Amino acid sequence: MADKEAIVYVMDLGKPMADCHNGRDESDLDFGMRYIWDKISTTVAASRKTWNVGVVGLNTDETDNNENREEYQGYENISVLQELGPMSMTSLRALKSQIEPSETSSADAISAIVVALRMIQVYTKKLKYKRKIILVTNGESPIDDDQSEDVAAMLNNVGIELVVIGIDFDDAEYGFKEEDKTQHKAENERILKTLVDLCENGEFGTMAQAVEELAIPRIKPVRPFKAYDGPLTLGDPQKYPSALSIPVERYFKTKRATPPSASNVAIHTGPPQAEVIDEDSGAPMSGVEFQPVKQLRTYRVDDAKAAGGKKDIEMEDLAKAYQYGRTVVPFSTSEEDYVKYQTTKSFTIIGFVPMSSYEPFINMGETGLIVAQKVNEQAELGLSALIHALHELESYAVARYVNKDKAAPQILLLKPNPAIEDDVECLYDVPLPFAEDVRSYQFPPLDKVLTITGNVLTEHRLLPNDDLQQAMGDYVDAMDLTDFGQDEDGNPAEYAPIDDVYNPVIHHMNQATRNRAVNPEAPLPPVADILTRFTHPPEPLIAKAKSEINGLIEAAEVKKVPPKVQGKRGRKDTVKPLSGLDIDALLGKTRPRAKKTPISAENAIPEFKQILETAEDDETIETAAKQMGDIIRKLISDSFADVLYPRAAENLRVMREELISMEVPTLYNTYLTELKDSLLSGKLNGDRREMWFRWVVGGRLGLITQDESEVSEVGEDEAKAFLK
Amino acid sequence: MSWRKDDEERPDSDEGDEELDENDYKTQKDAVLFAIEVSKSMLKPPAATGDKKADKDSALTAALKCAYQIMQQRIIAQPRDMMGVLLFGTEKSKFRDDSGNGTGYPHCYLLSDLDVPGAEDVKKLRALVEDDEDEDEIMVPSKEPVIMSNMLFCANQVFTTNAANFGSRRLFIVTDNDDPHAGDKQAKSSAAVRAKDLYDLGIVIELFPISREGKKFDLSKFYDDIIYRDPAAEVGELGGPKTSKAGDGLTLLNSLISNINSKQTPKRSYFSNLPFELAPGLTISVKGYIPLNRQTPSRSCYVYEGEEQAQVVQSETAQVDFAARTVEKTELRKGYKFGGEHICFKPEELAELKQMGKKTLRIIGFKKRSKIPSWASVKKSLFIFPSEEQYVGSTRVFSALWQKLLKDDKVGIAWFVARENAHPVMVAIFPSGNPDDEESNTPYLPAGLWLYPLPFADDVRSVDHVTAPARPADELTDQMRQVIQNLQLPKAMYDPRKYPNPSLQWHYRIVQAIALDEEMPESMEDLTLPKYRQIDKRVGGYLAEWKEMLAKKASDLQNNRAFKREFEDDDDERPAKRAKPTKKATSGGGGPANSNADLKKAFEQGMLGKMTVAELKDIMASKGISTAGRKAELVERLEQWIEGNL
Repeated sequence: MADKEAIVYVMDLGKPMADCHNGRDESDLDFGMRYIWDKISTTVAASRKTWNVGVVGLNTDETDNNENREEYQGYENISVLQELGPMSMTSLRALKSQIEPSETSSADAISAIVVALRMIQVYTKKLKYKRKIILVTNGESPIDDDQSEDVAAMLNNVGIELVVIGIDFDDAEYGFKEEDKTQHKAENERILKTLVDLCENGEFGTMAQAVEELAIPRIKPVRPFKAYDGPLTLGDPQKYPSALSIPVERYFKTKRATPPSASNVAIHTGPPQAEVIDEDSGAPMSGVEFQPVKQLRTYRVDDAKAAGGKKDIEMEDLAKAYQYGRTVVPFSTSEEDYVKYQTTKSFTIIGFVPMSSYEPFINMGETGLIVAQKVNEQAELGLSALIHALHELESYAVARYVNKDKAAPQILLLKPNPAIEDDVECLYDVPLPFAEDVRSYQFPPLDKVLTITGNVLTEHRLLPNDDLQQAMGDYVDAMDLTDFGQDEDGNPAEYAPIDDVYNPVIHHMNQATRNRAVNPEAPLPPVADILTRFTHPPEPLIAKAKSEINGLIEAAEVKKVPPKVQGKRGRKDTVKPLSGLDIDALLGKTRPRAKKTPISAENAIPEFKQILETAEDDETIETAAKQMGDIIRKLISDSFADVLYPRAAENLRVMREELISMEVPTLYNTYLTELKDSLLSGKLNGDRREMWFRWVVGGRLGLITQDESEVSEVGEDEAKAFLK
Repeated sequence: MSWRKDDEERPDSDEGDEELDENDYKTQKDAVLFAIEVSKSMLKPPAATGDKKADKDSALTAALKCAYQIMQQRIIAQPRDMMGVLLFGTEKSKFRDDSGNGTGYPHCYLLSDLDVPGAEDVKKLRALVEDDEDEDEIMVPSKEPVIMSNMLFCANQVFTTNAANFGSRRLFIVTDNDDPHAGDKQAKSSAAVRAKDLYDLGIVIELFPISREGKKFDLSKFYDDIIYRDPAAEVGELGGPKTSKAGDGLTLLNSLISNINSKQTPKRSYFSNLPFELAPGLTISVKGYIPLNRQTPSRSCYVYEGEEQAQVVQSETAQVDFAARTVEKTELRKGYKFGGEHICFKPEELAELKQMGKKTLRIIGFKKRSKIPSWASVKKSLFIFPSEEQYVGSTRVFSALWQKLLKDDKVGIAWFVARENAHPVMVAIFPSGNPDDEESNTPYLPAGLWLYPLPFADDVRSVDHVTAPARPADELTDQMRQVIQNLQLPKAMYDPRKYPNPSLQWHYRIVQAIALDEEMPESMEDLTLPKYRQIDKRVGGYLAEWKEMLAKKASDLQNNRAFKREFEDDDDERPAKRAKPTKKATSGGGGPANSNADLKKAFEQGMLGKMTVAELKDIMASKGISTAGRKAELVERLEQWIEGNL
């Protein structure tokens, strides 16, 4: 695995490259550069010091290359735009300024290849490198093919791969042919094709295909990581001579790839800083427009005596603790070790279960892969026998796994993969849940309805009738993807196999970052089609299953619940306990009516709700709201620090909710405006800003907008501004 | 439920982009107040039967034990949720600080105020149930009957002051008296009014009736006026309260624990009203839950012990630049490292980049269940259940799909975005069987559909380094079958309930011992350890034979290979370029330099340092050793590996 790379791009900058062809609205140059920028920016993104890039301009106005000496001819108008070396953002910008179409079109492409070849030769000497030359041209400038054979021989000798990508070159395999091709372009294509064919390692293609393939996400290869190396046992070899021990290695089979993570940076404002070193690569970061920021952590505790009620604590004065409920349990270093369950590295089988007893959805995470230790015939044959025996018996093994000393034990399910569908013979493993990981949630059954009196119903509006069951069955069968896709040869194959489904966030993010690096001003690119093709059922399948879909919709009779058109007002929807007791009648006798008896602070929410439920005039509502508002203000001003804030906030939330449903948002909005003023100006017995920011703003208790209540006069923007 | 803010739950959201916001999920805090009746009949010990396993606990002791156990359980599983214990019908009265007379709630005794439980609460309960000491004479029933409306209002006040804004608040009433106000209509009405208050506050009453001596607990006498069901809840969402009783080999305590436990965990939805696009033009709505979630020991925190009581410190972070100047929020951007610089996007652009379509669950088709590769696992699954809130008819359509998938062993394939801005993922939709069904593989999980995240191509690691299979060894395989057949797990299934997490149990046992000043345990039963003795007894014989057979087969294979290698070396003068990779893939040994014997030889002769970096890296990669660093480091690492492994 040679990690080092030396790639030279040869880009045609000739005058004809400035023109647009074949119905494209971008010039040949821009079209070709799409490919090159993508490749180069990928290299920049990787920021590997061992990946070297050089760029040669073909058909430049100037001539600047080492081969152009008196004894040679044909090296005019070829310039080295960038010497071979690692690629950074700075060099990318420098390069960008040089990519302009020229006024000439006379340079020889093969000469440019020779220039590139020499660059690689000089740079890489005899060391282990991946060497490559990529030529992008529209084949308009004349090429002298006398030397083709010699050049090919030299390329082969040095071990360079030659890639020629022509703009509007014919490619029968891809299915592209330029109709009105000029004679000399056709000739040039032929010469370049011959040259590539002479190379041991060469590729010849057309730009349209290259650009199309750019959209195919490239998956970052990851070196295999060995998670475990040791015995897999059955029984306890320390205690029982019969126990089995097979030396195995465990690797990852799946590992969730994550999108690149962003770090916080600050917009550079001050004078230029001292040289900034990139933490990852150790290279100086030049041309920094944004500078990294660090996190400074401070610790404080509540202290009534200190200013602001908080006291800063130095890191040294801190002790470690665990929390046992609300009790803080400080512990010493010796105890710390004791809190950890002591284990030793081990991997041992607990027992076996039939495959049919296992449901994949109880998996807790990523898959591992277990193979025998290398060059160990006993391990090889032993594990193989276990794998085949499990497979033949349609069984899985359950094992306890401790990947290293002191690690927490895990329970893994081991699944045999006897190399039938692929040629990897191994055990796959997935983690299983422990007792504590299962939360017992109760749900009603899906195939019957239990009434409160204990009856069992099998026919009910919540249960599907025979028609719906039939329609669902037909629909599911019609939408089968098992053979709906196509393999490379056009044979039916599984649709959307895992290999074809790329993580859209990762690849879109990468695409956007590369674009931004090359064109800082350009808007974000759209999401590539290849990333979104599995977001909807395939159109042809929908067309095929049309009648089943319609049949299902008809049998389902699903109706959308209309958005709340009216509030509680005028709608007598009484809540009753299980017995159906007329609780309102009871309440009517005992409860405050707002106008006569005010709402009590300690039972504010129920009383407020009950008054509104039976309110018959606006005046009652207004009075109740006023009383509730006063209670809230009192709670806040009585609150020692923030003790009563949760309660005040809950009262406010209920008030807001109820006034929305009573269609009197203005009552709330007016109240809240006054409350805000009081809170921020300290009118409620001290500094009450936290009540405002954390509980009102943070709790989304702002003004009632038109979206929430049609009669509100407050728009979205006004509500937003109000919270600032 | 309304959205509630909880600052403590939000870690500093700096590095590391959003993972699914399980924080939002946690903000829905839960508060449970146990109200346990103290009365003569609750205190009456069960009739002695002479049976060792028979109940010895009075109903009250059983209820307190149950509360004690649940409190410990909640400290582990729900460390931020509140719990309290209120006794009613006691001679003594106590509410918060004021003890004795004059409280507004006569014959109500607030044993543990509603709060996140602490060591004292656990101790207090333990003293009552384990040592049977009731120094304060709390468990003495009052002479006059308790007034239920008082108890209910007391609970109202406890919730209003201590858990004002909790998403889930529940009052668990444990009693054996189905008619506290027989004949007193006025008292009944007052209780009904106070119950309505609780309903309006959003507090749910759960009744855990205890049946005495075979007598039916008649709800219609009193409790039907007290208990409400959320009209939004579906018919059949809950049957009536389940009565706890001793019998059928079950103690009253077990029966009570089982009934309370089934209600104990607040049913928190992870998302609600998710549109489930079943087919083009057919959408229903579902709620999502996380019934399986890896529970980990609590992380340690920093405390300040300067004052009399240790106090958890609050940490704040500020962003500073190189000159240690605090950077204002407005100056901050999110940058992506790129070629030694940061590529930045405006906040609105970042939002756009992450936006991959609206939240939805959209079926794109169906596959046979067997089409999901056995290795295709990356993350825990989510459970979904229909809701009629947005689309009437959701439940029946959901049920039809569930039945079809179960019947035909099929899975749905769907595009899934859990929330706005959540990362999209492809999921396979699996059905789970009825827990009561004998056939069900998952009696511990509800029936419904599961969203099983499928890996993306990006998540699959290449396995090129894995050598191709050795030849199948028939006799070895046959013998191994005997072993497997004789070591089936009980009931031929993996039941997680039988395997408590040993490191989690140990952690809390130790922390509890320190917190409660108990003696430190020496050891603990680890149920995840295999039953070694049983294994030896059942299959020891087979294994011994098998090992003998294996040793012979292996040495045959070894000789065979050595011979072949010699033969190849002679025959094959100049290995063609292409032969190299295939050879590597087929023979167990790889290239000569890769074979362990050669490597060891090279090491002993001190030749490792003479190898090139590229060679070293190749060897190390094939052994799965990290290849980072300079040559000296590589050599050292490789030497360590050889010493440790060869």
